Amino acid sequence: MRESVTLAGVGKTYASGVEAIREVAFQVAQGEFLTLLGPSGCGKSTLLTMIAGLLAPSRGTIAVDGAPVQGPRRDVGIVFQSPVLLPWRTVLGNVLLPIEMLRLGRRPWEVRARDLLAMAQLTDFAAKLPHELSGGMKQRVSICRALVHDPSLLLMDEPFSALDALTRDQMGQELLRIWELYRKTVIFVTHSIREAVFLSDRVLVMTPRPAAIGFEIDIKLARPRTLDMQESDEFNGYVGVLRRAIETGGRR
Amino acid sequence: MTVRSLGWPVMVTLGILAAWEAVVGALGVKPVLLPRPTVIAQVLWTKAPLILEHLWPTLYEIALGFLLSVVGGVLVAVLVTYSTIVRKGFYPLIVVSQIVPKVAVAPLLVVWFGLGGTSRLLLAFLIAFFPMVINTATGLTSVDEDFVRMARAYMGSRWQIFTKIRLPHALPLIFGGMKISITLAVIGVVVAEFVAAQRGIGYLIVMANGLLDTPLMMAAITALSVMGLALYGVVAIVERAVIYWQQPTDPARGGFA
Ligand SMILES: Nc1ncnc2c1ncn2[C@@H]1O[C@H](COP(=O)(O)OP(=O)(O)OP(=O)(O)O)[C@@H](O)[C@H]1O
Ligand SMILES: [Mg+2]
Repeated sequence: MRESVTLAGVGKTYASGVEAIREVAFQVAQGEFLTLLGPSGCGKSTLLTMIAGLLAPSRGTIAVDGAPVQGPRRDVGIVFQSPVLLPWRTVLGNVLLPIEMLRLGRRPWEVRARDLLAMAQLTDFAAKLPHELSGGMKQRVSICRALVHDPSLLLMDEPFSALDALTRDQMGQELLRIWELYRKTVIFVTHSIREAVFLSDRVLVMTPRPAAIGFEIDIKLARPRTLDMQESDEFNGYVGVLRRAIETGGRR
Repeated sequence: MTVRSLGWPVMVTLGILAAWEAVVGALGVKPVLLPRPTVIAQVLWTKAPLILEHLWPTLYEIALGFLLSVVGGVLVAVLVTYSTIVRKGFYPLIVVSQIVPKVAVAPLLVVWFGLGGTSRLLLAFLIAFFPMVINTATGLTSVDEDFVRMARAYMGSRWQIFTKIRLPHALPLIFGGMKISITLAVIGVVVAEFVAAQRGIGYLIVMANGLLDTPLMMAAITALSVMGLALYGVVAIVERAVIYWQQPTDPARGGFA
């Protein structure tokens, strides 16, 4: 099993003096779906931003595919809580933004962008502007954008938390479908225990700030996962374990 | 603004003109004090060549002063956004300098730059470029941090982030600034023409005033107003075409439309 992401002794103290992350170490295998679960303000976004190379850790090292992270890298895709679509660009234009930024030449990649949109059931919306889309559709576009340059690592910071519960379940299923097709390594951040259990191969529970990894569990639910599984005893067993882990402050 | 929404202001204007005509006629007010609208219209028609002759140079200088303000204002705003020295050192000075009433500076400009077009352009620029700076700088810096982080995550350079994100994001505010600037450029050029000019609509107004030819004066003011409105309209039309992704903010629409 090859490692995709390795964090060793990573800590972050902001210039303001806030110690967001005490010490975090974990590894993510290639193709693994890993979820970070933790209370609000514990430093999940900070951690993800550092893995994306947008923020330098104060201590420790982060490596992606064996190479230390020193800045943004071309093989990372990122999805934020809000879709951050440029309102003046069409859906297709938004999906192709990373291609333009990376100066890859639009023509050859447009085919892939359209394939991704088709898979996200957005074919008919390629030429529409973002304001003509629903919240869930916008977030699907931003997932397409994160995948368009064929990154090996996908970072997702509470991508579904702004959506209503029904849409959220649907999006989770679609994300899994896409993930099973492309088998990217995913690091997913959420507040929702059920979402974590439903999506992940493994869940890490973070302690309140300054964060550390307090608890870790492999989710051995069969794949492909279906919404029906959410009623199974196995599923709810995991939910219970994780809830207790969070209640005890994530500490074992 | 749609054609239908023009109905109301047009009706109100016609009503006011009719009342003006009736009252001035009934009271027998002298044309030197207040000419009737029909008299003004007549002068507009008969003296059209004279008025147009003075309107063109004014229009030319307004357009030039406006373009200077837009280009200069945007450039200064870019410097304010990207250069700490400009932002911390010069920007406060620019802001404070706005307290000086530009109209009062007009005679000084004539002393420095003579009676030619330079002083008029400069006054128009001094008045009109400030809203461009403020609006553009606000637009460039008010981009949601998430957009910038997203672009940086995909290895966007500063230049790419400027051209693909900050500048388009600022466009609605830039056009807002342009709508203010165009009206200010009109004021700048006309005031400069009041102070010193041998031609131009401002000169014609002052001259007609000196001759106590109030109807001509009001005809000239009318022509100037129509031109100002047309210039504003051109900016608004271009705005609509450029900023296709959002409705222009239009206070006239108001209400629960
Ligand atoms: N740029 C910054 N400068 C200083 N402190 C910051 C900065 N960004 C975040 N923090 C602080 O670091 C801590 C962790 O923030 P972070 O956004 O990583 O938390 P989070 O786990 O993502 O929270 P949430 O679940 O609410 O999104 C918080 O206390 C926050 O106030
Ligand atoms: Mg967060």
